[in-house]
Amino acid sequence: MRRHISHVLVIALIVLGLSLPAAAGEKLLLAVAANFILPAEELTEMFEARTGIPVEATYTSTGKLYGQIVKGAPYDLFFAADEKRPNLLDEKGLCDTPFVYARGQVVVWTANQALCGAAGWQAVVKDPEVRKIAIANTESAPYGTVAMIALQKAGLWDALKEKYVFPQTVAQAFQYAETRSADVGFCAYSSALSAKGKKGCFYEVPEAPTAVQTACILKRTENRSAAERFVAFIQSPEARKIIEKYGYR
Amino acid sequence: MDLTPLWLSLKLAFMTTVILVIMAAPLTYLLVYVRFAGKSFFEALLSLPMVLPPTVLGFYLLLVMTPQGNIGRFWEAVTGSPLIFTFAGIVVASLVYSLPFAIQPMKAAFEKIDRRLLESSYVLGLSPLSTFFKVIIPNAVNGLAASAILVFIHTLGEFGVILMVGGSIPGETKVASIAIYEAVEALRYRDAAMMCLILVPISYLFLLLINRLTRRQIYGA
Amino acid sequence: MELNVSIKKKLPHFDLEVSFSCRKNRLLGLVGPSGAGKTTIIRILAGLDRPDEGRIDYNGEVWVDTEKKIFLPPQERHLGYVFQEYTLFPHLTVAGNVAFAAAEKEEIPPLLRRFNIWHLKDRKPDKISGGERQRCAICQAMARRPRLLLLDEPFSALDAVTRQNLRAELRALKGELSIPVIHVTHDISEALYLADDVLPMVGGRIVRKWMVQFMLKGRPPAQQRAAGDIDGYGGDSRDREDLSILYDSLKVMQ
Repeated sequence: MRRHISHVLVIALIVLGLSLPAAAGEKLLLAVAANFILPAEELTEMFEARTGIPVEATYTSTGKLYGQIVKGAPYDLFFAADEKRPNLLDEKGLCDTPFVYARGQVVVWTANQALCGAAGWQAVVKDPEVRKIAIANTESAPYGTVAMIALQKAGLWDALKEKYVFPQTVAQAFQYAETRSADVGFCAYSSALSAKGKKGCFYEVPEAPTAVQTACILKRTENRSAAERFVAFIQSPEARKIIEKYGYR
Repeated sequence: MDLTPLWLSLKLAFMTTVILVIMAAPLTYLLVYVRFAGKSFFEALLSLPMVLPPTVLGFYLLLVMTPQGNIGRFWEAVTGSPLIFTFAGIVVASLVYSLPFAIQPMKAAFEKIDRRLLESSYVLGLSPLSTFFKVIIPNAVNGLAASAILVFIHTLGEFGVILMVGGSIPGETKVASIAIYEAVEALRYRDAAMMCLILVPISYLFLLLINRLTRRQIYGA
Repeated sequence: MELNVSIKKKLPHFDLEVSFSCRKNRLLGLVGPSGAGKTTIIRILAGLDRPDEGRIDYNGEVWVDTEKKIFLPPQERHLGYVFQEYTLFPHLTVAGNVAFAAAEKEEIPPLLRRFNIWHLKDRKPDKISGGERQRCAICQAMARRPRLLLLDEPFSALDAVTRQNLRAELRALKGELSIPVIHVTHDISEALYLADDVLPMVGGRIVRKWMVQFMLKGRPPAQQRAAGDIDGYGGDSRDREDLSILYDSLKVMQ
């Protein structure tokens, strides 16, 4: 009797194991830059409801995602926070021609109300009360890169060196600022507009270049038709309205 | 190539080792020689950092070390500067992370000491404190050394906790493990490889040392 | 100088209850089978254990009084204690061990010489024989200038020849001491050889004094039992039982 049961269990496990990849094949896997998490969640929900195609996304810095894709990570679509990396993938023949899906801004955000009446972002970061400034890793997060450029343009990059803290993604930069581990953070505009973001205040950073965020379908995808449907959806007027709602242009 | 992360790692490991060995000795004494209520719960608590995933540990440390957290607040009140995202902060995190590794070898060494030696010391007129320094410590030297070495290499390899509470500040909290990670993420494989190449022999050397020390204990010094 | 002891303690297999005194210049032999409670008494005397009830005083100084809640820690009782093993500190040389308790540095060389361990002074305990270790342990205990010397089966872990030699040395030493000495052993011949007074113990109690005289008669035990001589001395069935146990586990000097 016992032997029969163990045989049944083994067969069940094999069937289960075999069946899993088949289920994964149905899903769309997105690699999404951390700044875009809020609109992405709303958009994927809408897409799933409309088409019944399940979508899963990984949110982290553009640089990290790029590294993973180059090493063969099984994503179907890549939503970067810059143009550089999708272009690099295109050159390497790893993805289709990239298209712009959003234009984002970096802002200086703080949870500390006492810092909310300053003349501008430069006054805030220079304030001696501000001891820690969160900037996303300038190498792998485009929002960190543009923040650095802004600080360099304002001639403050070296002067404020003692204050910088470098989380891995721009979403973490907001988390540091929101929990007041850092006094201010260079965050995505969409974070400033979120429910948590509204509890603090933000300053625009005109010196920072706009983050031209581009995306592309990865050539290794096995769900091309689903991927193309998603791309079409992203470019639809409805989707655009949602994207703009979160502060992107 | 920038070698600061390596120096930072060594500095962190050294400081953590010195502080932790001194901290762990009285704690181990409590565990081995003193009977008190709830001792097993206390002991399990001290062993917790050994079994928790480093990110879990890092998460809780993050919560208490921020300026709003209990420890962060206390630290600022006493020193005037924040604890999170500072070298002092990652030292504190390392102390928690490596505590059980300091205690285990010491505990084994203390337990090996026959109680009659301590009783002999008391009868000969030494207080428990003097007995600790003049009898227990000299007879537990191998265990103390093993503790030190274990803490040192464990701290050298620390990553998850430092990632969460360090903030990756160059020259302050960007230790070798973080630098290697970021180099890999940025596809700077050569930088990553260079740092790994230096860390491996250091760790190996210390492991050799520890083996020689513990082997002597088995065969009798 | 007199040590007075009267204590009670509940132990896992029986209740310990003893009363006795020991005067200076006397060696008191506590004899009995293993597990009779002898070591517990010694430990209580040393302050390493506490009685449930009782009182111990020495020369008027109260060491333990459970009623008045007095307890003098071992450090302040100024005694010497020699264990069966692990008395000496392994990390110190013989000289270092003796110096541990010596008040003045000058006292050490004469002490080492007196106990015949001068030639061992720079060696560590693991590099000398068992017998030499015990001799060093006694020397270490004496370095403290103790008011009372406790010996807990000091020679039990040694071979027969070494045991004989050390017994003789101890007997000679005893003569020079002016303090009470309490010597615990399960070997009746050793006890009778060394002791001025013998206290036989079984199951936590001191068996009647007349048993000592009985044993000192030296007649083979089997004969005595057969002859029912035990009855001749009075005593109840419990005493008879104790005596049997005693003879079953002790060696009688022929």
